[in-house]
Amino acid sequence: MPTPSITLHNHKPGAPPGDLVIWLFIFAELLAFGIFFGAYAFSRSHHVELYNQSQLLLNRESGAINALVLITSSYFVVRAVAAIKQGFSRECANWIAGAIGLGGVFIVIKLLEFNAKFSAGISLSTNTFYMFYLSLTVFHFMHVILGMVILTAVMLKARRGGYTPEDHTGVETGASYWHMVDLVWIILFPLVYVIR
Amino acid sequence: MQYQSQKVAMPYFIAAIGLFTGQILFGLIMGLQYVMGDFLFPAIPFNVARMVHTNLLIVWLLFGFMGAAYYMIPEETESELFSPKLALLMFWIFLVAGALTIVGYLLVPYAGLAQMTFNDLWPTMGREFLEQPLPTKLGIVVVALAFLFNISMTILKGRKTSIALVLLMGLWGLAVFFLFSFYNPSNLVLDKYFWWWTVHLWVEGVWELILGSLLAFVLIKVTGVDREIIEKWLYIIVAMTLITGIIGTGHHYYWIGTPEYWQWFGSVFSALEPIPFFMMTVFAFNMVNRRRREHPNKAATLWALGTGVMAFLGAGVWGFLHTLAPVNFYTHGTQITAAHGHMAFYGAYVMVVLTIISYAMPMMRGRAANSEKAQVMEMWAFWLMTVSIVFITLFLTAAGILQVWLQRVSETPLGFMATQDQVTLFYWLREISGVIFLIGLIVYIASFFVEGETKEAA
Amino acid sequence: MSQTFTKSMARNIFFGGSAFFFLLLVALTFDTMQVLPKRDHRENITPAVERGKMVWEKNDCIGCHTLLGEGAYFAPELGNVYKRRGGEFVKSWIKSMPTKVPGRRQMPQFNLTDQELDDMVAFLKWTGEINTSKWPPNIEG
Repeated sequence: MPTPSITLHNHKPGAPPGDLVIWLFIFAELLAFGIFFGAYAFSRSHHVELYNQSQLLLNRESGAINALVLITSSYFVVRAVAAIKQGFSRECANWIAGAIGLGGVFIVIKLLEFNAKFSAGISLSTNTFYMFYLSLTVFHFMHVILGMVILTAVMLKARRGGYTPEDHTGVETGASYWHMVDLVWIILFPLVYVIR
Repeated sequence: MQYQSQKVAMPYFIAAIGLFTGQILFGLIMGLQYVMGDFLFPAIPFNVARMVHTNLLIVWLLFGFMGAAYYMIPEETESELFSPKLALLMFWIFLVAGALTIVGYLLVPYAGLAQMTFNDLWPTMGREFLEQPLPTKLGIVVVALAFLFNISMTILKGRKTSIALVLLMGLWGLAVFFLFSFYNPSNLVLDKYFWWWTVHLWVEGVWELILGSLLAFVLIKVTGVDREIIEKWLYIIVAMTLITGIIGTGHHYYWIGTPEYWQWFGSVFSALEPIPFFMMTVFAFNMVNRRRREHPNKAATLWALGTGVMAFLGAGVWGFLHTLAPVNFYTHGTQITAAHGHMAFYGAYVMVVLTIISYAMPMMRGRAANSEKAQVMEMWAFWLMTVSIVFITLFLTAAGILQVWLQRVSETPLGFMATQDQVTLFYWLREISGVIFLIGLIVYIASFFVEGETKEAA
Repeated sequence: MSQTFTKSMARNIFFGGSAFFFLLLVALTFDTMQVLPKRDHRENITPAVERGKMVWEKNDCIGCHTLLGEGAYFAPELGNVYKRRGGEFVKSWIKSMPTKVPGRRQMPQFNLTDQELDDMVAFLKWTGEINTSKWPPNIEG
């Protein structure tokens, strides 16, 4: 049964945290990324040489730093959820602000990386590897921005005292989405930057 | 029927069914030309018959969409139409323009028609589905604008529901993307690239918004399920439609000179395109199972459920069948495409228009539903047409698989015509299924004239 | 605050998702436009090719044939006909229509002038040189 969330009215014990539809959404997102990752792996197996050569030219340091940045930010939203469960709205908002800030760091590092690639004349048509590299990273990049928008909405509401220990689905929803964005990078980074 | 002005939908629906009949007749002519090549030659060459067949389809679906909008919008907005007179005027303009165009196709050689209609000044003709002469294209724009003005003004002054909003977006999108039909560069690759912005973004984009809102409207009426729930489903379905369908355009950009990354983008996103159709099926059945009332119009419910199933099969499953680039490399431009086209158009758009007609026509004739007898007949028509389109699709798929095998995959490929000779049997079977479809259509039309006991509309 | 997925969330996904993917289409289109000159060889679009496309359109050739796989499936693919048959054959074929063989599919006589025939061949020749990623699979189209 797809989209059970649409009809679900009460949060049942054992159900995942946050609103169920965000899980539907996360599932759809992971499916889309999953298909792209599968396609990447499929294509790689046909052009191993090309992929190995091109991968060497990627900036692995910036990718690794970004992975650390996102993992740290994920920890921050975990703390935010823990805070709101005890009713500390301000603390919750601050943790989320920290996560958003790290998201910003990710964006800046990524933009520097893109800039270097584009000025080297690399485009979608350079070769299949770069087609995947650019598509996947830009696609993920847009998700980071969307995640930051969601977190900002949650943060503003938390600051206004809009969440309580009993009712903080919004925080969990935002946190779940942010974890998904993080998770995708944790798969994407080794897959595209490292594994040869 | 709660509002007087809803009644302008009636002529639109009647015209739609009339043109539908014409479409099927020309389909049968073409089907016969596939096996008896010189049938009706030179009076009606194949390309003319095809033009009439496809253009009639587009025009009658547009009539159906417009009629549906005129019927739904007053009820959704809880106010009379902004101008029923304008709606009626546009009906006649559109009908006359459409009829003249078809007559032009049939009586004048196409090159002559192009000459007569100033195609040299602004060449737009002679591209698949967009064969209409320039004056007709301009007429479509005028009619569409007047129609959109009428609908938008009605929505502005009344209640704004999600169904009305999605419908309005679909209709505006339809008009906007039609404008790409006026762009015809001399570079064939550019021509084809933006030709799809009309064709693909219509049928796998904005038309699906119209489809979704029509279906949602009828489901609210026949099931009595809470509007909040139905509209939520509607938003999620149309969201998935556009999220997958917009980049899904890429599945047309594999072999027409466009960069090769489209093979990846097109494959990935169009592989996801069945999802919204699957959700639509689940949606229709789910809502009917949770119905809060027993609506006397069983036929409309059947059409609504049928739309969900057949749209999923035709657009979803048959689309997926040949959408991945490595598969499409072999199937592109074969009878497989024709098979998909037939079931997708019938399942999604023909059926949804017949759904709304089935629901609205009795209302406009002053009753909640047709008599038992008439409904039984309509349901017979449903099954006859639906089963025969399934068989048409199966036979064309068989012909397509053979064609791909003999002409494209084989070590010693046969030429096009030699291949066609090998699959004649399937073309005959397709033609027979087509005749049964026509019988179904005749039964359908006859069902409107069956009398019997009916209840007053509420 | 409602615990459930609200209609407005669904609406936001619809608007946000549609806008995002439409912008992505525009961005990819922009990139495509940069790449196309290398693949369509537009420098070879002579006035004859342009006129040939007009002849192609004015006679609704797409109503029976496919061109790069798009069109009707009643008659052979013509994107590669120049390679398959050569220009002279194409011209004499068009001139000798219809064959009037009983029961065979018939192509109308379009009464094209010599100029129009040459233009048509120029158009088909240029079309055959578009980089179509190795499609069709073989010369039969």
